[in-house]
Amino acid sequence: MSTEAIPAERPKRNYNALFGLTLLALLVLLWIILSVATPSFASANNISNLLRQGSMIAILAVGQTFVIITGGIDLSVGAVVGFATVIVAMLINAGVPVFLAILVTLLVGVAIGMFHGFGIVRMGLPPFIITLATLTSLRGIGLLMTNGNSISINNDAFQLFSRSSFLGVPNLFWMVILVGIPAYIFLHHSRWGRYLFSVGSNAEASRLSGVNVQRTIYMAYTLSGLCAAFVGVLLASRIGIGNPTQAEGWELQAIASSVIGGTSLFGAVGSVHGPLLGAFILATINNGANLLNVNAFWQRIITGVLIIVIVYFDGLRRRGK
Amino acid sequence: MTSTAQELHPALTLEPGRTILELKGLEKRYPGTHALKPVNLAFKASEIHAIVGENGAGKSTLIKLLTGVMPRTSGDVIWEGKPAALATPHEAMALGINAVHQEVVLCRHLTVAANMFLGEEDSRFGILQQRAMVREAQKIIDDLGFDLPAHVVLGDLTIGQQQLIAAARATVRGTKFLIFDEPTAYLTRKEADQLFTLIRRLKGEGVTIIYISHRMEEVFELADRVSVLRDGTLVGTRNIAETNDAELVKMMINRSIEQVYHKEHFTPGATLLEARNLSGKGFENVSMTVRAGEIVGLYGLIGAGRSEFVTTLYGRHRKSAGQILWEGKEVQVNSEHDAIRLGMALAPESRRDQGLCLNLPVGLNLNLPIYKRISSNLLISSAQEKTEADRQIANLRIKTPTRNALASSLSGGNQQKIVIGRWLAHGAKLFIFDEPTVGVDVGTKAEIYRLFGELLSKGAGIILISSYLPEVYELADTLHVFRRGKLVATHGFRTANHEDILNQALAEKQEKPGGQI
Ligand SMILES: Nc1ncnc2c1ncn2[C@@H]1O[C@H](COP(=O)(O)OP(=O)(O)OP(=O)(O)O)[C@@H](O)[C@H]1O
Ligand SMILES: [Mg+2]
Repeated sequence: MSTEAIPAERPKRNYNALFGLTLLALLVLLWIILSVATPSFASANNISNLLRQGSMIAILAVGQTFVIITGGIDLSVGAVVGFATVIVAMLINAGVPVFLAILVTLLVGVAIGMFHGFGIVRMGLPPFIITLATLTSLRGIGLLMTNGNSISINNDAFQLFSRSSFLGVPNLFWMVILVGIPAYIFLHHSRWGRYLFSVGSNAEASRLSGVNVQRTIYMAYTLSGLCAAFVGVLLASRIGIGNPTQAEGWELQAIASSVIGGTSLFGAVGSVHGPLLGAFILATINNGANLLNVNAFWQRIITGVLIIVIVYFDGLRRRGK
Repeated sequence: MTSTAQELHPALTLEPGRTILELKGLEKRYPGTHALKPVNLAFKASEIHAIVGENGAGKSTLIKLLTGVMPRTSGDVIWEGKPAALATPHEAMALGINAVHQEVVLCRHLTVAANMFLGEEDSRFGILQQRAMVREAQKIIDDLGFDLPAHVVLGDLTIGQQQLIAAARATVRGTKFLIFDEPTAYLTRKEADQLFTLIRRLKGEGVTIIYISHRMEEVFELADRVSVLRDGTLVGTRNIAETNDAELVKMMINRSIEQVYHKEHFTPGATLLEARNLSGKGFENVSMTVRAGEIVGLYGLIGAGRSEFVTTLYGRHRKSAGQILWEGKEVQVNSEHDAIRLGMALAPESRRDQGLCLNLPVGLNLNLPIYKRISSNLLISSAQEKTEADRQIANLRIKTPTRNALASSLSGGNQQKIVIGRWLAHGAKLFIFDEPTVGVDVGTKAEIYRLFGELLSKGAGIILISSYLPEVYELADTLHVFRRGKLVATHGFRTANHEDILNQALAEKQEKPGGQI
C-alpha cells in the first residue's frame, strides 16, 4: 500500500481558495476596467455608493447559501426584506425604542424561517413550494397592514446610520463584515456548519450518523430569515420608508450571487466568501453599467450571461480539467 | 460504422483460444492517483478470466476503461486485431463489450422492463410498446432462470435482485465480451448460483467473461484463468488449475495471511440490549439479547427482515409491538439520536444510499458522528479533526491520497471502510454492523475482524448481519437465522453445520419480490 506517500495535499481547500481568488481577481479587473472607462467610477462617492448597493444583497446571499448548501432554496428573502421594512417602520413610528424595534423585526425574520423549517420538516413540503408561498403571502400581509401605502419613518437617527461611514467605510459595508465573520466561522469551523454540508450531501447517511437533520434544516432557514430581516432593517434605514413591495426580485439576486460564488444548487458545495464576492461583482456590473449609460435592460442580460459563464467554468474545473 | 464492425464479426465465428481483446500498456491516472500503471494482458475468446486484487488495486478502473466510461491516459486496446478507441460506452457496446458495474447504475424509478431496454426501446411511430417490452423482458428473465417479475419498479427489488437484472440486461444486446465487477457482493448464495449458471451458459455460447471478486472460492469455482492486480500493476496471470488460494493472496497483498477469521472468545458480561417480542415493518415477534463481549450474528436471505429489525432498534423506524430494554430498563427509542445517546452505533447496509456523503471529503465522512466530541462549545478543534481522521485512515488502511479527497473518488471497498471506520472512535457500547465487509478485500477483512475483537475486549457488544454464511459462522457467538421476518433458529458458536443453517434460512420457496412481507 502506498498510502503514506501523500503528494497532492488538500485538493479541496486549495480549490476553494483558488476559486475565491479567481472571483477576487475578476472583481478587481472589473474595477480597473471601469476606472479607466469612466472617470466617475473611482470617485470616493461612487465607491461608497457601490459598497452600499452590494452590501444588502451580500448579506442576503450569505443566508441563502446556508439554505442552498442543505440542498434547499429560499425564495422568500426578497419578500421578507419588504415585510421587515414595514414592521420596523411601524414599530418606530409607534414610539418603540429603535433598539427594541430592530430586535422585534429580527425575531419576525426568525419566526418566518422557523415556519419554513416547519413546512419542510413537519409537513413534508418541498422548499421551493413553501418559500414561494411565503413570498406571495408576505407581500399580501404587508399590503394589508399598510393599506398599500408607504410608511415614512420619522426618526432621523435611525436613518442617519445607513448614510454614515466609519473609518471612511460606509456603515452598511461594516454590516457585511459583522455578518460575514461569524458566518464564516459558523460554516467552516463549527460542527453545525459540517452538518449543513452533510445533510445537503446525504440526509439519510447523516441521520444514521447521529446528525439531527431536522434541526439542521430549521437552522438553515432560520438563519436565512434572520439575514433577510436584518437586510430589511438596513433598507428601511437607508431609504427611510416601510413598504412591503420593496426588494422585488432580490431573492433572485441573492441566489445569483451565491451561485456565482461557487455554491452548487445540488447542495453540499459552498462557502461564505464566494457569495460575498458574487454579490459585489453583480453590484459592480450594475453600477458600471449605470455610469456607462448602458440600458437597464441590458444589465439584466449581462447578469444572465455572467451566471452561465461563471457556473460553466466552475463546473469544468470541478470535474477535474 | 460501428454497426458494420458488429456484422463482420458475429459472436459465432469466434474459435476458442483465439485472442479477442488485448491490452497494450493500458494506463490511467486520476488527479493524485496513478490508478493503473501500464498493463499488458490478452483475453482469449470464450474464457472466464478472473481479476483479483486489494481494494483500490485498479480493477474497477480497468473495467471503466474497457467500457468507455472513462478515457484512458495512454496505451492501446486491441479488439479482434484492430485498435479500438473506446471513447464512449456506446462505442464499447457497439463492439459487443458490456459490463455489470460494481454499483448498480440503472434507473430505480423505472420498471424492470424499462431498464432492460433503456436506450433501445421498442417504439412504433414514436409510441412506446410498453406491454410488448414487459412481455419480452419477462421472457428473457424467465429464460435465464431468474425468478423475478418484469413489471415492477426496479427500486422495489433488493440490491441483489437489481444486480441480477443488470446482468440480464447486459446479456441481451449481442454481447461478446461481458464484465462482472463484484456481482455477488449483494447476492444470496442461491442468487449467486443462478448467476453462475448464466455465466457458464454465456461462455458456452462463445462469450468472453471477466469476473472480478474478492471471494476466492468463487474464483476457483468459475474461472479458467486469473490475473492479479496490485497497486495498479499486473502482478501475474495463472491458469486456475496451477494455482491456489494462498498463492493468490500472497500475490495480491505481498504477504500471507494465516487466518482471516480472527476469533477471540470473551466471557460475556452484562446484557446490553434485549428485544422482547419486537415487531415492526418487515419483521415480527423477534426476541434476542446482546451481551457485552459477544458477537450476535444475524443470518438470512437479503430481505429476510434483519436490516429492518436493527434499524428499528436504532430508532429509524417505529416498532409496532414489543419492548426494547437497554441495560435492563425498558426504553423508547424514537430516533437515531436516542439510540446513539444510549450507546448504539449503526453501520448501515447500503453505503451509497445510507452510508456516505459521496461529494464530501473522506475526513468529514469519518468524523461525522464524533463532531460533538471534537468540538469545544461551537468550534471544531481542527487538530483533533485531522488526527481522528488520519487515525482511522491508517487503522483500516483506507486508500486515499489525503483525508480531503472526496469520498466518491475512492474505490468501492475503501468507501465501505469509511462506513465502518467512522464508528470505531465513537465509544459506543453496542455496534450494529450490517453487511460490513461487502466488497472489502481479504487483508482488510482480517483487519476489521481483529478490530471487532478489540471492541469486544473493551466491553462492547456487536450485532453482525451478514448474508455471507462463513463470516457469521466463524465469528458469531450466537447465531440467529431469519426467514421472512421471523427469527426461526438460534445456534451457538459453530454448533450447527452450514447445510442446516442454509436450509433454515431458505426453507420453502424463495420469496418473490413485490413485498408481501
Ligand atoms: N474518479 C476518481 N477520481 C480519483 N481517483 C479515483 C477515482 N476513481 C478511482 N480512483 C482511485 O483509483 C484507485 C483504483 O480504484 P478502483 O476503483 O479501480 O479500485 P478497485 O480495484 O476496483 O477496488 P475495490 O476492490 O475496492 O472495488 C483507487 O486508489 C481510487 O482511489
Ligand atoms: Mg472496484
